[in-house]
Amino acid sequence: MDFRFTEDQLNLREAIRDYLTGEHTPEVLRRLDVEGGRDAAIWDGLIGMGIGGLLVPEAEGGLGMGLIEAAIVAVELGRANVSEPIADTALVATPLLGSDQRAAIAAGALKVALAHPINPWIADLDSADMVLAGEAALPAPEDPAPVDTVDPLRRLFAPIECAADDRLLDRAALIAAAQLIGGAERMLELATDYAKTREQFGQPIGSFQAIKHHLATVAVKLEFARPVLWRAAYAAQQRAARTPIHISHAKVAATDAAMLAAETAIQVHGAMGYTYEVDLHFWMKRAWALAGAWGDRAWHQRRIEAAVIGGGMAIGPETTFASELNHG
Amino acid sequence: MDLEYTPEQNAFRAEVRAWMEAHVPKTPLKTLEGREGYDQHVEWERELASGNWGMVTWPEAYGGRGLDLIRWLIFEEEYYRAGAPLRANQNGIFLLGPTIMEYGTDEQKARFLTPMAKGEVIWAQAWSEPNAGSDMAAIRSRAVRDGDHYVISGQKTWSSRAAFADWCFGIFRTDSESKRHKGLSFILLPLDSPGVTIRPIRQLHGETGFAEIFFDEVRVPVENRIAGEGEGWNVAMATAGFERGLMLRSPARFQAAAKRLVALYKEHAATASPAAHEAVLQAWMDAEAYALNTYSVAATVIAGGHIGAEASLNKIFWSELDRAAHRAAMSLLGATAELRTLPDGAANIWQEGYIFSLSGPIYAGSNEIQRNIIAERLLGLPR
Repeated sequence: MDFRFTEDQLNLREAIRDYLTGEHTPEVLRRLDVEGGRDAAIWDGLIGMGIGGLLVPEAEGGLGMGLIEAAIVAVELGRANVSEPIADTALVATPLLGSDQRAAIAAGALKVALAHPINPWIADLDSADMVLAGEAALPAPEDPAPVDTVDPLRRLFAPIECAADDRLLDRAALIAAAQLIGGAERMLELATDYAKTREQFGQPIGSFQAIKHHLATVAVKLEFARPVLWRAAYAAQQRAARTPIHISHAKVAATDAAMLAAETAIQVHGAMGYTYEVDLHFWMKRAWALAGAWGDRAWHQRRIEAAVIGGGMAIGPETTFASELNHG
Repeated sequence: MDLEYTPEQNAFRAEVRAWMEAHVPKTPLKTLEGREGYDQHVEWERELASGNWGMVTWPEAYGGRGLDLIRWLIFEEEYYRAGAPLRANQNGIFLLGPTIMEYGTDEQKARFLTPMAKGEVIWAQAWSEPNAGSDMAAIRSRAVRDGDHYVISGQKTWSSRAAFADWCFGIFRTDSESKRHKGLSFILLPLDSPGVTIRPIRQLHGETGFAEIFFDEVRVPVENRIAGEGEGWNVAMATAGFERGLMLRSPARFQAAAKRLVALYKEHAATASPAAHEAVLQAWMDAEAYALNTYSVAATVIAGGHIGAEASLNKIFWSELDRAAHRAAMSLLGATAELRTLPDGAANIWQEGYIFSLSGPIYAGSNEIQRNIIAERLLGLPR
């Protein structure tokens, strides 16, 4: 029992954070907003970091890592508000595809869009080479019909009818939860930085308790959402019997943290936060989007309810890690 | 990351479970906050000690078992699974004990820790004063040096357990010229010392779980001081860290409450409000999140890490989840919520729990103070 990251995992996080801090700045977000949302250089950079092959076995040219590492990367993608379809392709779709397709993803030569009836849209269908729909891999349609979204860097299209694949849903929900956590962390930082520099009444507004308490409440929410995410990633990696419940808990906790971070951050920014000039809006809108994607709060809560109130899942203090692992 | 127990950890769990099943009182004890219940709880402390379960993380030389924090969490899980009583000596074992372990001399460890683990000496906390609550550095009670004694005068208040306990620990101003955080010392003394007067205070529930303590030239040997003269503030802050941090409120307590709450919900599902339904699920999720976070912090501490201001995150989370869970229970109970004794003759433990939960965001440093600490020390906002 050791609830810590390995040195390798910490190094992975640091490497990707350093890269995105340097290359995926707020200036990039503003440029993409004007230019239409995607940039081959960013995709290539992430592939160059090895993210495409993160979940691809080493024998096939990948890094052979697991879902804990995938979630670590997804948190960083959320922190930087990366909009390239790297999370869907490399962190969600890869393990559900064949070895040729996996190798192509590792090399950055294949982009996959994800279709599932739980979403009334498909993301990045225009740039996708294939669509994972139900358990089928379909060629991407020509000229997909765009759907208008509030998130200026998200590209959504009309859905494709397909069967529901629970494996796809669970993985995508886990990765969405990780991105929500990363976004929440970043929004807390943006608001904290603003509170340190913005002066009113002759002092930084961050010296006022009203502001401090708002931000501290977000810090608490985040602190207790993170371990829920890591346990879900661990369970998914181990194919534990309770994985769907843990992922639903992670999605709910991450959604709550991100929504609170977003509302608090705009409040702390005051009227500046209501403008398009302050970068906060990119993360806030992504939080709204991911909150509803891959099962909204109510959907995941119903799944938890069915297990905790409705059903046979043992609960209580002795069950935190009990008899749930290695059952898949 | 490895979230599986070792065979040895599982064997330890089985050992605790078997002992608890054989020893936990079959009928609930009366409230710890009243005289009769207090005596029952002290008796339970001694029963625990007879099984060598007083404080499993302490060295064997001091009545412990020398186990790590993971075993402590397992112990707590089995303790609450079995529905074992609250710890009468929680101020001692969870707060003063770790403080003595860190700052005490070998002689002090031998003198105080073993009787604490054995439940022979029950401890009260004597920190707050009428004008030093959240602003604890405003303490005025004096301890004036007179040879190898201190002579203590002043007043402490809201001292948990002081109405019944044997000894107290507190901070006193040993430098009469000093201000605020400086010139304070951390001193232990028996509550039956000449010059000590205890005035029990009735709490919200009507019992006398805490008290005022008046000191009228109480003579205390200098060897009862923990750490150096004038270092009391730092020692007290470390103790407060233990209080807010890992030990005082173990996750098992809230997981057990969440399990009971789910059962209560099932009994009242037909009449439950949507808000109560939501709150029941949230209580389960939050108790689970608290447990996961605690395992995470425990792993960091075992690896040599330290809990600092992060303890304030904990304190806010457990106190607010406890209040929300009990609020949900009161809502589910509807018109029976106000009854002290339920129609089936049982005490209304949800009401007792709700009342107690209202103290959580206040004691151990109010949650407003905790939010200041988080903002200033973790987020780096200006004072």
